[in-house]
Amino acid sequence: MANVKFDDITFRYGSHTVLEHFSLEVESGKIVCLVGPSGCGKTTLVRALLGLIKPETGSITVGDRVLFDAKKRVNVPAEKRNIGIVFQDYAVWPHMTVLENVSYPLKKQRRPKEEIRQRAMRALEQVHMTEYANLLPNQLSGGQQQRVAIARALVVDSDVLVMDEPITNLDAKLREEMLLEIRMIQKRLNATILYITHDQQSALQLCDKMAIMEQDGVLCQYGTDEEIILHPANRFTFEFIGISNFIPVEKDGKGMALNCGEKIPYEGSVPEEARSGGYELGVRPNDIVFDDASPLKAKVDSRVFLGSEYNYFLSVGKKQIRVQQSMLDARTKGVANEGETVGIRFLNTRFYPAKKGAETA
Amino acid sequence: MKKYGGVSAELAAVDGRKRLNMDKVMTAVCFVLLLIIVVIPIVMIIYNAFFYEGKLEIGMFVEQLTEPNNLGAMWNTLKIAVFTTILGTIMGVFYAWLLGRSDIPAKGLMRALFNIPYMFPPFLGAMAWDMMFNGRSGYINKWLVQLFGLQSMPININSVWGIVFVEVSYYFPFVFMQVVSALERMDPTLEESARIAGARQRQVVWKITLPLVKPAISAGALLILTTSLAHFGVPAILGYAKRIYTLPTRIYEVIYNSGGSFDGIRQGAAISVMLVVVVALALILQNRILSAGNYDIIKGKSMRPTLIKLRGAKIPLFLLAILTLVLIVIVPLVMIVLISFLKAYGLPLEFKNFTFAQYQKVFSANGTIASIRNSLFVSITAGIICMFLGTLVAYVVQKIRPKGKGVLEVISMLPYAIPGTVLSIGVILAWSGRIAGINLYNTIWIILVAYLARYLSFSMKTSSAALLQVHSSLEEAARVCGASHTESLADITLPLIRPAMVSGFFLIFLPAMREVTTSILLYGPYTRTLGVQIYSLRDAGMIPQAAALATVAIGIIIILNTLVTKLTKDRKGV
Repeated sequence: MANVKFDDITFRYGSHTVLEHFSLEVESGKIVCLVGPSGCGKTTLVRALLGLIKPETGSITVGDRVLFDAKKRVNVPAEKRNIGIVFQDYAVWPHMTVLENVSYPLKKQRRPKEEIRQRAMRALEQVHMTEYANLLPNQLSGGQQQRVAIARALVVDSDVLVMDEPITNLDAKLREEMLLEIRMIQKRLNATILYITHDQQSALQLCDKMAIMEQDGVLCQYGTDEEIILHPANRFTFEFIGISNFIPVEKDGKGMALNCGEKIPYEGSVPEEARSGGYELGVRPNDIVFDDASPLKAKVDSRVFLGSEYNYFLSVGKKQIRVQQSMLDARTKGVANEGETVGIRFLNTRFYPAKKGAETA
Repeated sequence: MKKYGGVSAELAAVDGRKRLNMDKVMTAVCFVLLLIIVVIPIVMIIYNAFFYEGKLEIGMFVEQLTEPNNLGAMWNTLKIAVFTTILGTIMGVFYAWLLGRSDIPAKGLMRALFNIPYMFPPFLGAMAWDMMFNGRSGYINKWLVQLFGLQSMPININSVWGIVFVEVSYYFPFVFMQVVSALERMDPTLEESARIAGARQRQVVWKITLPLVKPAISAGALLILTTSLAHFGVPAILGYAKRIYTLPTRIYEVIYNSGGSFDGIRQGAAISVMLVVVVALALILQNRILSAGNYDIIKGKSMRPTLIKLRGAKIPLFLLAILTLVLIVIVPLVMIVLISFLKAYGLPLEFKNFTFAQYQKVFSANGTIASIRNSLFVSITAGIICMFLGTLVAYVVQKIRPKGKGVLEVISMLPYAIPGTVLSIGVILAWSGRIAGINLYNTIWIILVAYLARYLSFSMKTSSAALLQVHSSLEEAARVCGASHTESLADITLPLIRPAMVSGFFLIFLPAMREVTTSILLYGPYTRTLGVQIYSLRDAGMIPQAAALATVAIGIIIILNTLVTKLTKDRKGV
């Protein structure tokens, strides 16, 4: 197993810059999720790692092996990089049986026949697909094809395993199962896995560490999921991971007020730089609690029961915000009813400059 | 993974540069081959039409342009092409709708039967119709005169309208096949929602169904138009003796009359330029008229559409369809077979006049056997070469995407819009000793070269479509799994597009087997093709023998077609 190091990678399609001076190090033996909206350059990064495209600058190292270095003019071809990949569309070859698919990487290494068979069957065992060995891919479901693709990536001892949105095409239940399975495989092999997704939910479920990428190929934050949820580095990370409410804050006489179409006095603490205006208060729905003693009042517009929590839409002045109430809280304090006016308190507030041009009202 | 350190990484880097080169080699090969096969002949035509011995000389071109015979031929060509397109399109759409959307009986059988006119060589059809309705000696004409005591022959097939009629009969399947498959792929809910919204059946057909299949109609119509403009066989058989010329037959006449001299070929080149201009104008016009509106509501999936009940019209329409088939397939076929048994052309069709002698002659004559062998050789060779070359071009255009891929695509599609006769002239000009001393004239190779140019776009199109289906991640996955670029091509891409390559081969092989337009200008004493042989036998007045050979040719085509259908059906669908 090995770590993966991207250093100063720049890549352009014609005049469109996808990645600019991008650096990231993935530690050995960890599952790292690369998360970002579509078009942020995550797939480009993966393709550079695989050797399918050639960046303009920078270097890529896996362990102590240089795969690409623009300065030293090193560019190891894709077939010699020893990286396992599970593509988003599986890329299971439709004209080969499951076994032939999984055997292919070993065949290319010119291993003895008997060894190929044994190792391919073992890989299929790991993904619980042994009984399908002689079927063609079009006889399999999407989830099964997915597992064939994973087995094919596992069959050789790759330095790194890359998974590019491998579960987006599966239904919710299968998705859950596959995530658990990927987790178990990683534990068993102690593999380094780079997992690419735009779905923060599965990222949270799976990863040891997360790398958040912004729209134009900028790395926003790299850290454990806890760090990223509890201490988002900037507004993008805060907004992208989880649900968020934003309310503009402004000066109101001596104190501060929330601008919700009308000014509503706000008594919570506001950091110095946010007091001059042009800032917004950000708060997650589960960080808003009902507290009748609070001076901040809101009207309950609607309430939906989601199984493990209640979801509310409240009006603060003319602004609608979203609130989540845990079952525990609902049991101990009771629920709020539609049409009621309730007091609310913001627990975990952060302040970010307002987006330019975007009216958040 | 220590073994990969330092030095070997550098080695691998060298390997990395080699891979890039392979793409470049493939691209370069494409450009060079297309230059030789397509660009040089076309350039030669234009050059020779306007230049003489290295100097600009447009006198000859102007002379040809103002020659009344040529102007008349141009007018005829346009008239025939336009009417054939209009009538063929109406007929194709009507029968496509009838078979695709109505509850007409025996649908499967009818669909199969309606594809027959497509396989039937039009010039053999023309031969049959000429036997029946020739203005002077047509068998049915004579019979009608006798029956009704007429003063003159009632129908004269040797006219512009006769040519239009025969071309419509064999070209309407172009539209028919396109529209039937579009109707099948159309989402039936589109029509159903119109009905629910209150539209009547007739309104649905006019306002929903037809506009939605318009792209398919226009594609088919374009095919009829360009094919008719460039077509040699039918006007040659029906019009030539009556001095009704079209541009392709005019080109043939000019060259034929000059005995293949350079002057004649130059004049032919000048008329070719006129023909190419007409085709180009037709293409532009077509594009203008039909470019508005391109829909993507037709899905790839096959769905079961609701069928329209014909009620009382069911039986009459069924009979009409059967009658059409009988008229354009069975009647000409029977006529050709009957004539092939006659002792001499002109004798009444009675049993005592029948003989097998014509077939004996056909199978004992060296020239005839040689013509079958020649046709088999050039068709198979052209099919195989085009299959690989077309796939190569398609791969370069679709997957490698070099700079100038647009140029590549245009060049390979160019011969598609260039009439076969014109292409022949280009090939003659290019490969009869004027370039690098290569002289292929009067050899079988010149026909092969012309076929390559003419049919390359066929295989390129099928391979292109197949390659689009092969997602690039399949090849990339192979690369990442340790396959070199060449190996990933051989292990993944080629096996996946093999069925398309095979069908591309037959798309070339079958029409090439019965081809006459291109080879009529290129054949030499020992290099007659099957089509040329039939044409010359007929031209020499040996009509029963021509009919016998035609019967053999049709037999070969039917056998091959059945074989192809069997072969392609058994293939594992990927």
